[in-house]
Amino acid sequence: MNTGQTCRRVCSGLAWMAGLEGGDTGHGWTGSGGNSLLLPSGSSQAASFGKCFLDRFPPDSFVRMCQDLRVLNAVRDYHIGIPLTYSQYKQLTIQVLLDRLVLRRLYPLAIQICEYLRLPEVQGVSRILAHWACYKVQQKDVSDEDVARAINQKLGDTPGVSYSDIAARAYGCGRTELAIKLLEYEPRSGEQVPLLLKMKRSKLALSKAIESGDTDLVFTVLLHLKNELNRGDFFMTLRNQPMALSLYRQFCKYQELETLKDLYNQDDNHQELGSFHIRASYAAEERIEGRVAALQTAADAFYKAKNEFAAKATEDQMRLLRLQRRLEDELGGRFLDLSLHDTVTTLILGGHNKRAEQLARDFRIPDKRLWWLKLTALADLEDWEELEKFSKSKKSPIGYLPFVEICMKQHNKYEAKKYTSRVGPEQKVKALLLVGDVAQAADVAIEHRNEAELSLVLSHCTGATDGATADKIQRARAQAQKKMEGLEEEPLETLPTEQW
Amino acid sequence: MAAHLSYGRVNLNVLREAVRRELREFLDKCAGSKAIVWDEYLTGPFGLIAQYSLLKEHEVEKMFTLKGSRLPAADVKNIIFFVRPRLELMDIIAENVLSEDRRGPARDFHILFVPRRSLLCEQRLKDLGVLGSFIHREEYSLDLIPFDGDLLSMESEGAFKQVANMMIRMKREFTGSQNSIFPVFDNLLLLDRNVDLLTPLATQLTYEGLIDEIYGIQNSYVKLPPEKFAPKKQGDGGKDLPTEAKKLQLNSAEELYAEIRDKNFNAVGSVLSKKAKVISAAFEERHNAKTVGEIKQFVSQLPHMQAARGSLANHTSIAELIKDVTTSEDFFDKLTVEQEFMSGIDTDKVNSYVEECIAQKHPLIKVLRLVCLQSVCNSGLKQKVLDYYKREILQTYGYEHILTLHNLEKAGLLKPQLGGRNNYPTIRKTLRLWMDDVNEQNPTDISYVYSGYAPLSVRLAQLLSRPGWRSIEEVLRILPGPHFEERQPLPTGLQKKRQPGENRITLIFFLGGVTFAEIAALRFLSQLEDGGTEYVIATTKLMNGASWIESLMEKPF
Repeated sequence: MNTGQTCRRVCSGLAWMAGLEGGDTGHGWTGSGGNSLLLPSGSSQAASFGKCFLDRFPPDSFVRMCQDLRVLNAVRDYHIGIPLTYSQYKQLTIQVLLDRLVLRRLYPLAIQICEYLRLPEVQGVSRILAHWACYKVQQKDVSDEDVARAINQKLGDTPGVSYSDIAARAYGCGRTELAIKLLEYEPRSGEQVPLLLKMKRSKLALSKAIESGDTDLVFTVLLHLKNELNRGDFFMTLRNQPMALSLYRQFCKYQELETLKDLYNQDDNHQELGSFHIRASYAAEERIEGRVAALQTAADAFYKAKNEFAAKATEDQMRLLRLQRRLEDELGGRFLDLSLHDTVTTLILGGHNKRAEQLARDFRIPDKRLWWLKLTALADLEDWEELEKFSKSKKSPIGYLPFVEICMKQHNKYEAKKYTSRVGPEQKVKALLLVGDVAQAADVAIEHRNEAELSLVLSHCTGATDGATADKIQRARAQAQKKMEGLEEEPLETLPTEQW
Repeated sequence: MAAHLSYGRVNLNVLREAVRRELREFLDKCAGSKAIVWDEYLTGPFGLIAQYSLLKEHEVEKMFTLKGSRLPAADVKNIIFFVRPRLELMDIIAENVLSEDRRGPARDFHILFVPRRSLLCEQRLKDLGVLGSFIHREEYSLDLIPFDGDLLSMESEGAFKQVANMMIRMKREFTGSQNSIFPVFDNLLLLDRNVDLLTPLATQLTYEGLIDEIYGIQNSYVKLPPEKFAPKKQGDGGKDLPTEAKKLQLNSAEELYAEIRDKNFNAVGSVLSKKAKVISAAFEERHNAKTVGEIKQFVSQLPHMQAARGSLANHTSIAELIKDVTTSEDFFDKLTVEQEFMSGIDTDKVNSYVEECIAQKHPLIKVLRLVCLQSVCNSGLKQKVLDYYKREILQTYGYEHILTLHNLEKAGLLKPQLGGRNNYPTIRKTLRLWMDDVNEQNPTDISYVYSGYAPLSVRLAQLLSRPGWRSIEEVLRILPGPHFEERQPLPTGLQKKRQPGENRITLIFFLGGVTFAEIAALRFLSQLEDGGTEYVIATTKLMNGASWIESLMEKPF
């Protein structure tokens, strides 16, 4: 190659480039060339050669032009027969060109072009594959099995291909079975389920929805099923699907209470049935007879569930309700729906001690709690005389410290002191401190030789008034220390609250 | 802005930014002025990711709470509903929309489902004839809300009831997305609350835990009685005492709080007094500042010092409030009983303290919590004991609570002992759940968070990281929950690659809730020098014993 030749080539290359820049070499060429050659080798080679001599020439437009030319040449091939000019092609855009190819079922070429241009899969290859698949499902002469397999082989897991769209097309052509097969490949249950429902494959839809774990989908199917099937069938379907069943129960709890009852009935779930009737006795029934009747049903259910305790408790409640109604009639005031404890308290507060006693006996309120109850009620009434009488009625099962405490709560030190002498030895110091008798508390603590008690008293010694007492304790402590020498003893309390 | 989220090994601020961006994008879709109608439950969680100012920047002019009948008047172009996908809320929305349509000028309605769009709800809107009124119907997947540098929560109420459903779902979502979203985690440990029913029932004894037990922390905010926070002015005579509750935000952005939140409450006092000395010493330094340069330097430090002083004052007040409770006799008695139960003393008979609590009608939640604790610590109560408690509760608090008791039994919190075997002692001994020598000031074991009891859940996590669960197979078999076995394959992921000298990061997901004390214990493990594992905690709900029991309670009227 001599220099002259090189020069000419460079020049023609440069001219081509200039044309590219100006944007009309493509036109000029198509105008003059007009045949199906891939590229006019001379000028393109010249261009590729020439661009080496240009500094800072961005190669993009060169590359793009080459690509466009290749695409154009490919579609101009006589097998295809789309004689587009460059400007027509630019006007149409590649998307439309692809669509035309797809319409002519030229899928392989369309895919090759997509791959060659590196179009994003969703716009390119996947879209065309989807079109192909949609065309494929219309081939009535091929068996469902084969079509589904062929489609899956080609499409595989290509991202962006919606199997549900293809399935919808298949369903549109009346090939339901094929649609179902195709849906098997659909990874998104959100797409799968609605179509299955549309195809009236609700049971399959239900199991797909459950597989997905998406509660919302399950609900959608359930409500659909409910409208579609009769009640019995619907329940039977649910029965085999524990997750769906429990979801449906939740739904019913808020939306359809009656259905919930039927569901429990079907499952022989007497425990839940009992609870259901209890709720009903509060919510649905106003009249006392109705409430008692609902409770009776609940109690029966509990017996069936072998829940003796709940059954007995429910019967007690029925008894209590009737009694409360009677009390309201006879004594006035409000009793209904008070707890047993509060009913007895209200009676005592109203001065009906006899009735209170009777009630406590009938319902076997344990002695200890009854004492607490009476104590609290009498102190609330500030009926100190009655309280004292009560304290002497027999030996208190709860000790006498509560008496001291409750009097102090009502700021009645005078009454409180009456009981300190009867408080048992372990709680005596506490009782004495409560009524403010620090000196005597100190004596008792010293007598008990109890370190914890001693420090408790000491912590209550305030200012000058208790100075003597504090000294006394310190002396006793020192003495105890001497005796204890060698037998070191830690204070018992190591619980956190004590240290701070 | 949210510095407390980025201090950890895993930068959770990224997550916060992502959800903020998503919110902004949604708001910008609805052009023009906007009013937001809030599902009240969502305001708390949203407060953690976006302040009102962010909403305002995007032309949100009014905010309402979702209520029946008609909306308050608002001169805006768009009305956006922020709601959970719940049917009962759809009814309210429909009512709102219909009454608004009647009122006059057309508005644009939009709906944002949090955290998930629901076909069911849309169907309901369609049935009510309003679905077409909504221009944008979208979902906002606010699943895990970052609370702190190592803490995420879904804040979904009543989660425990739905654990079974959730489990299936969560598992799927996590197996799918764990790698793509959090490639930073080496292990994922899913812990179902059913495995450890015991821990939340006990009273938490860390600083943060106690604040939660006594005042309740909601979405990292706590409301406190205002008296102790009144500004001290001379000659004020205390006439202007604030009556509104004092609201404080609690997170690790506050230096002092970060230091004390996870300490045993008994160790908090000394830190506070030490801090007080340091701060007053720092303020005293102004007397030493002689030259202009020194004074300038002092002044430049002032804002920081004042913030520190403010924070110290707040926490001293909170600590005083808590101390009033913890030094009360009743708190002491309750704690004694709890600790007796947990160390296995007299769990098989009726407890006289519980009896007294019932007789004096202490709050029902407290009673239930104790009874459940006893039941769990005894692998169920003897039928006679159980029936006695139940009867006492029904007679005292009312028969209607039979439903609550039933719920507790379903949840396994309360049950009769089956086969007469008490497994708890075995579990306690093998897992060393009860430690007699607890160092509250300088803890050496996680048991410090309950002053003796080491939370079972955290102990399991600890043993998983070292020496592995194979050593405790016996115990795993007797722990409740058949699902447990199913999750055992997870540890195989343990043998993943691990850079030398770097700690593994474990994402531990508490299904059904986690307590602050458990979080504290995990943070303690993360900080151990030879621990080898750091934890990031995710949960369905931050909870404590009281809120837990409450979520299981049912009132029929």
